[in-house]
Amino acid sequence: MTEARREFPVLTTFVVGGALLYAFSRLHHALAPFVLAAAFAYVLNPIVSYFEARGLRRSQLVVFGYVAAAALAFVAYAGLKSMILSETELFQERAPAYLSQLQKTAYAQQTLLTKKLPLPPKVAERALESAIGGALEVLQDLPAHVLTLLPLLAHALLVPFIGFFFLLDAPDGVEGGIQMCPSRYVEQAIHLLSEVDTVLGNYLRGLIIVVTVIFIVSFLGLLALGIDNALIIAAISGVSSVVPYFGLAMGILVGGAMAVYQFGTLVAAAKVALLFVGIRLLEEMLIQPIIARHSLHMHAMTNLFALIVGGATFGFLGLVFAVPAAGIIKALVSVTWSWYSSERGLTLGAADGVGVPYT
Amino acid sequence: MPVLRSIKRWFIDPQFARKKEFLRSLDIFKDLRDRELGYLVAALHSRTYREGEVVFVEGDIGRALFVLESGAVELTRPSAGGAPAVLYKLKPGDFFGEMALLESLPRTATATATEKTHLHLLYKSKLDALLQSEPRIGVSIMRHLARLLSARLRRMNADSKPVIGKND
Repeated sequence: MTEARREFPVLTTFVVGGALLYAFSRLHHALAPFVLAAAFAYVLNPIVSYFEARGLRRSQLVVFGYVAAAALAFVAYAGLKSMILSETELFQERAPAYLSQLQKTAYAQQTLLTKKLPLPPKVAERALESAIGGALEVLQDLPAHVLTLLPLLAHALLVPFIGFFFLLDAPDGVEGGIQMCPSRYVEQAIHLLSEVDTVLGNYLRGLIIVVTVIFIVSFLGLLALGIDNALIIAAISGVSSVVPYFGLAMGILVGGAMAVYQFGTLVAAAKVALLFVGIRLLEEMLIQPIIARHSLHMHAMTNLFALIVGGATFGFLGLVFAVPAAGIIKALVSVTWSWYSSERGLTLGAADGVGVPYT
Repeated sequence: MPVLRSIKRWFIDPQFARKKEFLRSLDIFKDLRDRELGYLVAALHSRTYREGEVVFVEGDIGRALFVLESGAVELTRPSAGGAPAVLYKLKPGDFFGEMALLESLPRTATATATEKTHLHLLYKSKLDALLQSEPRIGVSIMRHLARLLSARLRRMNADSKPVIGKND
């Protein structure tokens, strides 16, 4: 009946984890819709769980939720249709003109700056040509970069479809996994699940708050500055915020380009840049403290390293999931250390005052 | 209205209601309101153990409270001769491993299912999350655990000689 004590197979877990990660890196294109659908279901799951805790059936809740969301999306689209269409048409009409106007302004500013810079005219001209030319090349390549995201947009229907099944069956899947897990390791398995759940949940909830606030504040700010296509620019900046620092860069780049086109001066672009830097600072000062408990508590350098590795290995999807994946790795290391230190008796067990007699 | 009743029946999860009623019948959760019991059910994990399956072994680090819904579990510890001595036999409605909710320290006995057994697990970090979001649930459980600890200490005190403090 008794079973000898065995230590948790940490090495095996890491080897299996490494093999799975390698397999994922080889198959990540095919797995992309499933990963996105899992994230989609994970974000929506707390809403389902909220009503489920009131005794309602998950299956009915998910079906009802999908129908309600579709109806809401239809009503929202019907209400905002004219605004969305006019903004899109305006953007499409003016897009070719934006770049030529931008080039004209850039070269006008270049001539002006060449005269004003305290450098020999030829040196200043060459330096400015190289800097402005480089920036324009980046802007010209921007549509190509955006086009690489199109395959992800193709998942727009597939993700909610797969997400439906994730939402419906994920809890049964978890319980099934616990049932299959060797009985001795059930507690450890749940420990791991709980830690990963906490990390992912905190990160995603924080991210949703940040994206929503950046979208609303930048939309209002751009409207106040009188910038055209404020909705599109705010949406680009908000959605780009899923990749740390990318939302700020996109807001300044796209919003600044629009301001230069519209007003023909760099001052207008500087105002837009100031707006987005201000939003970023506000986010750091006001929003982050509120969602501090939702953060992963990781060093900025760790975030940057994760972003570089994620982007280089998995492309755009890697950029989106780099930080939460780093958070999961951190949780795995923390759980492993917790097991190791508990097994070795390295943790402090008793509370202060244990020597005082019981009275 | 029969139509409303049938719609409600269609939406209500009978398994969830059954689990909630089971928890309500336990002393440790008896002070909780209906909604709080719902949160608790959502925080629980369940597992069925076969006869002879080990739930945990003495010395394992404890991280969850186990609630026995059906079946039977034996708590054992090796005797002087090495053979396992039965400390306690748990029946449906009993809970064990509760000290893991307070501190992650080695289990002091081995728990084994002696027949097909269904257990609910309340994991420590789930309880910690409940303490944050629904403090009443945490307070109720912690109050019960404190009473339990106090009762055990009193029994130990009654069974042993008076303890003299280190500084005396």
